Amino acid sequence: MNKNVKNIVVLTSVCAVVALLLAVTNYITAPIIAKQQEAAANEALLVVMPGGEDFAAVDLSAYALPATVTEAYSEKNGGYVFKLTTAGYSSGMVIMCGVDASGKVTGATCLSSGETLGYEKTYGDTVVGATADSVDALDTVGGATKTTAAYRGAVKDALNAAIILGGGSVDIRSEEEILADNLTAALPAGDGKFTSVFITEELNDISAIYAADNCAGYVYVSGEHFVGVDKDGNVVSEVSEELRTKVSDAAKIMLASTTEDIDLSAYADMPSQVLSAKKTASGNYVFELRAAGFGINGSAYYNPSGEYIYIRVLATAAGKIIACETVSQKETDGVGSACANADFYTQFNGKEESNYKEIDAISGATVTTNGYKTAISKVFTAVKILEGEA
Amino acid sequence: MQKNSNASVLLRGLLLENPVFVLILGTCPTLATTTTVIGALSMGLAAMAVLICSNAVISLLRKVIPDGVRIPCYIVIIAGFVTMVQMFVQAFLPEIYELLGVYLALITVNCIILGRAEMFASKNTVGKSVLDGVGMGLGFTLALLAMATVREVLGSGSFAGIALPFFSTHTISFFVKAPGGMLVYGVMIAIVTKLTHGKAPKKKSFACAGCPSAAMCNASACETSAVKEDN
Repeated sequence: MNKNVKNIVVLTSVCAVVALLLAVTNYITAPIIAKQQEAAANEALLVVMPGGEDFAAVDLSAYALPATVTEAYSEKNGGYVFKLTTAGYSSGMVIMCGVDASGKVTGATCLSSGETLGYEKTYGDTVVGATADSVDALDTVGGATKTTAAYRGAVKDALNAAIILGGGSVDIRSEEEILADNLTAALPAGDGKFTSVFITEELNDISAIYAADNCAGYVYVSGEHFVGVDKDGNVVSEVSEELRTKVSDAAKIMLASTTEDIDLSAYADMPSQVLSAKKTASGNYVFELRAAGFGINGSAYYNPSGEYIYIRVLATAAGKIIACETVSQKETDGVGSACANADFYTQFNGKEESNYKEIDAISGATVTTNGYKTAISKVFTAVKILEGEA
Repeated sequence: MQKNSNASVLLRGLLLENPVFVLILGTCPTLATTTTVIGALSMGLAAMAVLICSNAVISLLRKVIPDGVRIPCYIVIIAGFVTMVQMFVQAFLPEIYELLGVYLALITVNCIILGRAEMFASKNTVGKSVLDGVGMGLGFTLALLAMATVREVLGSGSFAGIALPFFSTHTISFFVKAPGGMLVYGVMIAIVTKLTHGKAPKKKSFACAGCPSAAMCNASACETSAVKEDN
């Protein structure tokens, strides 16, 4: 028994003495280590904010900042350094970006990335001096658009975050979020879920229509205005009388619009690009087309997808395109895939056979653009055949 | 030289009982930290500091610590000193701290230190134990330095970070990798065995005596394997 007690006492005493010595050592070294770690952390911050002093971590939980901002440090003179995580071309990038008190980028550097081309290592130099207003105008690097656009987006987030931390307010919503918010505000009954409607009639000054997924109604877009319309065509948003009349008229046309399938097998000369055609009550035609872009005609070396581009077009009986949209495509990501952007396909709106070629081609995607144009040209042929002119 | 004279205690760690090349202790840090001369030197000195301190304290407490709890006591003392060294290195030599990484903390389980505590410090006076710590520490440091010199010069073409003419343009990266470390280690052991031929302690003579568990163990397992190896 005595032996056991002695064992316990000795071992406990040894532990206690060692613990005491460690406490003393810690008391001496802890402040030095803390100072060193702070200096090491500041060194990384100084890279993007030369001359910065007294960096202090900011508690982000108190602010609604862009989601890319993961860490923020305030600086003595009113500037901030942000650590941002953003998706690039592959696994994403971690970027440090300094913003001074006047809202200008003092420096940006990519800490880690899995990008393929390495442009993220040098792109930071081009954003120095940019402000929240000017950053969007910076060029991306051709061939590394995704990487550099994501980088630029992250820098913009840092600039916006600096404004928010400085007490200002800024809209940090993405374009999709803004659209969703506008649609919900116009038609709260839509529950926030909407799908774009292909306009099958010639409408005055209506640029887009969205249908609520729960069939509660529609939202008509006219210029900057989002106007809610219930399923019976009554305008439910508070808008000016003029706009109410305009939307109300458009809604009536759309509700009355019916389409009738056309049996294309009856037309032997119908081009193969035209997959289906419908005639609307007002005499317009809706065509579903397929275009042989890079996916079909691209060099085998680049391993093209083997898929057509599918296009929907509304044209008048006189052969004028009212609306055009890309339904689906599998063109080369980042190059020919731009044919799915509204910027590209809406160029055909209002075009006729005489001028449909006068559009801006997709940069670096001649095969895609030419295939698309060929399919569009068949719209005019098809209208002529259906109207019995050909 | 008398077997237990101060001079012999100090010197035997250098070659005759070199912990790395003769006793084959501390192999893990030996292979891991000998890719650079600076790393090897830092590791050697850190281990030496812990060895001297733990030897001194364990020798001082050798009559106080009961047999039944001596191993836990030794480990607490050694771990305490290692943590102290770690804190000081982190505070005052942060670059070395980064360089050694986890191997600094692993000095705690370095067999050289526990081995010397058990084999020497627990049976000798404080003065002799300190001398043993210095000797063994120097032996460990010099062994690491010798290996690191070969590996860094051949593998990286530099010595202590300074690029050497000819070598820097003809590097053999094999030497800074694990297999290169093994090769150099083996060759060094062969050289030391040749140099100390007949004088170094036989494996049998320190096999069981040097084992921290010898007192608790019935020795049959060890002896059987020792006999097999001798055959």
